[in-house]
Amino acid sequence: MSDLIRLCTCLSRGLPGGVRSGGACRHETKQCGRSRLFAPLAGALLCALVPWQASEATATLVRLTPQEYQRTINDVFGSAIHVEANKVQPGFRDEGLLAVGERKLTITSAELEQYEKLAQSIASQVVDPRRRSILVQCTPASEQGPDDACAKSFLERAGLFLFRRPLKDSETRTFVSIQNEAGQRLQSFNAGLGTALARMLVDPEFLFRIERSEVDPALPGHAQLDAWSRASRLSFFLWDAAPDAELLAAARSGELLSEAGLQRQLDRMLQSPRMEDGMRTFFTDMLGFDKFATLSKDTVLYPKFTKNVQEDAREQTLRTIVDQLLYKNREYRDLFVTRETFLTPALAALYGVPLPRSQELGGAVPWVAYRYSDEDPYVGILSQVSFLALNSHPARTSPTLRGKALRETFLCQKVPAPPADVNFKLVQDTNNPQYKTVRQRLTAHSSEAMCAGCHKITDPMGLSMEHFTTVAGFRTAENGAPIDTTGSLNGKGFDGLEELAQVLRNDPAVTSCLIRRTYSYGTARQPDAEERKWLANLQTELAGKGVRWRELMRHIALSPGFFTVLAEQPITAQARDAATR
Amino acid sequence: MMMSVRRSLLPGARSAGSAGSLSALGALLLSSLVVAPAYAETRGYAISLIHTATYSDPANCPSGGNGGVVEIKERILRSMGYSAEQSKQIIANNGVDERGERVDLRRRGQLNGQRVDVHSFPTSAPDPHIETPQGRYAYGFNLDGQVQPGSFEDPETGERGIDNQMWRVLGCYEVYAVRRPVVPYNESIAWDTAMDSMPAWLLSVSGDDLDADGDVTVTFDRALNIVMRDARGGVLAGSSYTIDADPRSHSVFKGHIENGVLTIDPGDFYMQGESQFYAVLRFQHTQLRLKMNPDGTLQGLIGGYQPWMDYYYYLAIRGEETGQVDMPGVYNAMKRLADADPDPATGQNRAISAAYYIEAAPAFLTTMEGRTVARAHDPREAGRPETSVRQEAALHE
Repeated sequence: MSDLIRLCTCLSRGLPGGVRSGGACRHETKQCGRSRLFAPLAGALLCALVPWQASEATATLVRLTPQEYQRTINDVFGSAIHVEANKVQPGFRDEGLLAVGERKLTITSAELEQYEKLAQSIASQVVDPRRRSILVQCTPASEQGPDDACAKSFLERAGLFLFRRPLKDSETRTFVSIQNEAGQRLQSFNAGLGTALARMLVDPEFLFRIERSEVDPALPGHAQLDAWSRASRLSFFLWDAAPDAELLAAARSGELLSEAGLQRQLDRMLQSPRMEDGMRTFFTDMLGFDKFATLSKDTVLYPKFTKNVQEDAREQTLRTIVDQLLYKNREYRDLFVTRETFLTPALAALYGVPLPRSQELGGAVPWVAYRYSDEDPYVGILSQVSFLALNSHPARTSPTLRGKALRETFLCQKVPAPPADVNFKLVQDTNNPQYKTVRQRLTAHSSEAMCAGCHKITDPMGLSMEHFTTVAGFRTAENGAPIDTTGSLNGKGFDGLEELAQVLRNDPAVTSCLIRRTYSYGTARQPDAEERKWLANLQTELAGKGVRWRELMRHIALSPGFFTVLAEQPITAQARDAATR
Repeated sequence: MMMSVRRSLLPGARSAGSAGSLSALGALLLSSLVVAPAYAETRGYAISLIHTATYSDPANCPSGGNGGVVEIKERILRSMGYSAEQSKQIIANNGVDERGERVDLRRRGQLNGQRVDVHSFPTSAPDPHIETPQGRYAYGFNLDGQVQPGSFEDPETGERGIDNQMWRVLGCYEVYAVRRPVVPYNESIAWDTAMDSMPAWLLSVSGDDLDADGDVTVTFDRALNIVMRDARGGVLAGSSYTIDADPRSHSVFKGHIENGVLTIDPGDFYMQGESQFYAVLRFQHTQLRLKMNPDGTLQGLIGGYQPWMDYYYYLAIRGEETGQVDMPGVYNAMKRLADADPDPATGQNRAISAAYYIEAAPAFLTTMEGRTVARAHDPREAGRPETSVRQEAALHE
């Protein structure tokens, strides 16, 4: 039995604590009050998910990320609604993206408990007397009991945006009925409405992007998304947010099912400031910034790596990307060679460049647009902390990790994991007087046949970045020995990060990788054979003029396969854990 | 040792060898010229540590010294008329006497029939005649150019004729009986507090080749910014500071580098603080000896004749308990041992020879207009090209 089914069973029995290991329910003692009412209802709706998993191959589910959850709540109910930290378990990468892995995730019992707490917190804020008149927009006949008409009008409006489609009549009846029962039992209109809203917020229709399909007349054997699901896919693809009212209206009218209608919505959405949200989410995922959560450096050796640097590093890269690709409409490949970036005082100190300071003590950290001189060794996003530090060890660099990240992140190539019995002692000994530089240590290590194959793939690129320490500070020597930064990729030689960046910029694999990643991100799955052909054609088409973000997003949103659905089996939590490990 | 320095210690912009203070306008103009590109390179620094240059030695205090907090309290209580046994009991009872009343150690002075605070009125209580160091060594400089009986010898350089009467006042208190790298506890707390609450103190060195022996210009300024800390709690090397155009804290010296040691020709030094402890640091006849370390930092001594009331204030604001001294003892010793700047009316010397240990971390110094005038030098980045900053309007705030 899957976790989901066990959880469904427990909740249906009114035991909201979820599932113990072994399958038994937690909280066997009876609950009372609101949670007693709440749990079986949540369980009942969650159980609706189970048969879909088992039988409806054409329905796909993608779990909302914590960011998407928060963004939706704030879009629907306003930014004043506080959404507490939503700590879901870390996801796993598929096709190089967490966004694709999310498609294969269910919700664990612990996560459901969190969602339940969040739902109750949000619902109580929405029906708070200070906000209710604005958000609910009707006055109940009595404060001491339910009011079905007032509740219905609110729940239908909220449901449209939370479920990203209109509520079915049966759903409306259910939520109004919950409101009624809870309102009577708790003798409060607010409590009743809050209970119904909270139930809506733990509904799989909200927690998952459930995409429903219909037969695609143009592509036999394929299913295509219905209009509401199209709206969601498009909105999450471009904005990483639920559809707005205009997009939902286009879905309702059927406009989204026509190419002209889709074009109209794309024109509007691509010019929206919300494109920045979508871009940030995509690159956060593609660049593996989830690793910042566990990033650690030896601050005795590298005192410049302060908490501020750790917090600013991710933002530096995202600002650079957004500025270059969205606001300056530059080519994607230019990210590797741009001299322009943004710095804070802490980052400037780490990079060893001056940055006039003007903020007062305790003031907001100023981000300053900065351009390195043409001779400066810092060039492009590969020279930023977010790449160099994330792909290094706490106290030393790792040409292997850096090279591996380059291959996997920017070239969409898979580097095999090291053998289980490999001996790293030689590489890790940075004090060995015989091998002063990491190049010398890796050369000695790679002389073992079992290691040589993979290191040939990763190290030549990684070694060219050795002028940058594990925290991205600049150096020219290691243990007193001068650093050799020569390397090669596909027969093209380079010396140092700047030349490597130029080689990468001109490598067609870099842009084809971005195109494939973006497509997978938008569809939350791997492309099939037909789609790979289409992607190859797009790569050819864009090769001459370069890839620009809005243009790429438009191409993909209009591609023949973007709104199609491929059958794929979800995986269990155990399989997810194994994959994560 | 008891030489007189005839110039007064007026705050203001000072230049080595100048006859007196400059007008504010003149100083402001000067401030824009001091790091003019007459030199090939200017390196910037933020002062990361400063404290009294201490040198503990068993031979310093043959009578046993002035003790620590407990001994000082006991001495004070005895001076207030308590017996030795009562004093011990009061200390053991956290300052409460046998009647259950708290003994007010601060307000033990008597003035015009009133009880007054000895921090503000140090002559209102008896002078305890504290012990002063009699040892051979003390850090510092030979400020008067003479080797007189009783002057110290620098323990590192071996230079004789060291004038450091401030050490003679403080050196037998237990809290000062430490040696580098240990910092007197009371001063380490004060500096740590000051770093986070007052604008940074800056230093720059300009010359044609700062890696070789030769003449240089050394400039002190105050920043508009508070120091940035690194992950170890020190000053973040490579951080940037905007120079305060206020001419008061702008002091320029002719300097020299020899064998990696930076020195200056004597002149006046003034640095405005804002911390409750470091209201101001100023010297006449200032001397400097800083070692230029391989990691780009500086460490060494700064000293000169310091108005002794400045340091008295520094201690008084902290109080006897956390300062771990007794104020009447310090006041009277300073007054006796001061060796410069006599008051024209009374002849009482108003300045005392002193030396402070300082460290400085590499820093970028910029003007208020955003122009970089001094670079943070890190020898480990040798070969890196010069960088230039270009600010643009924020593009998508």
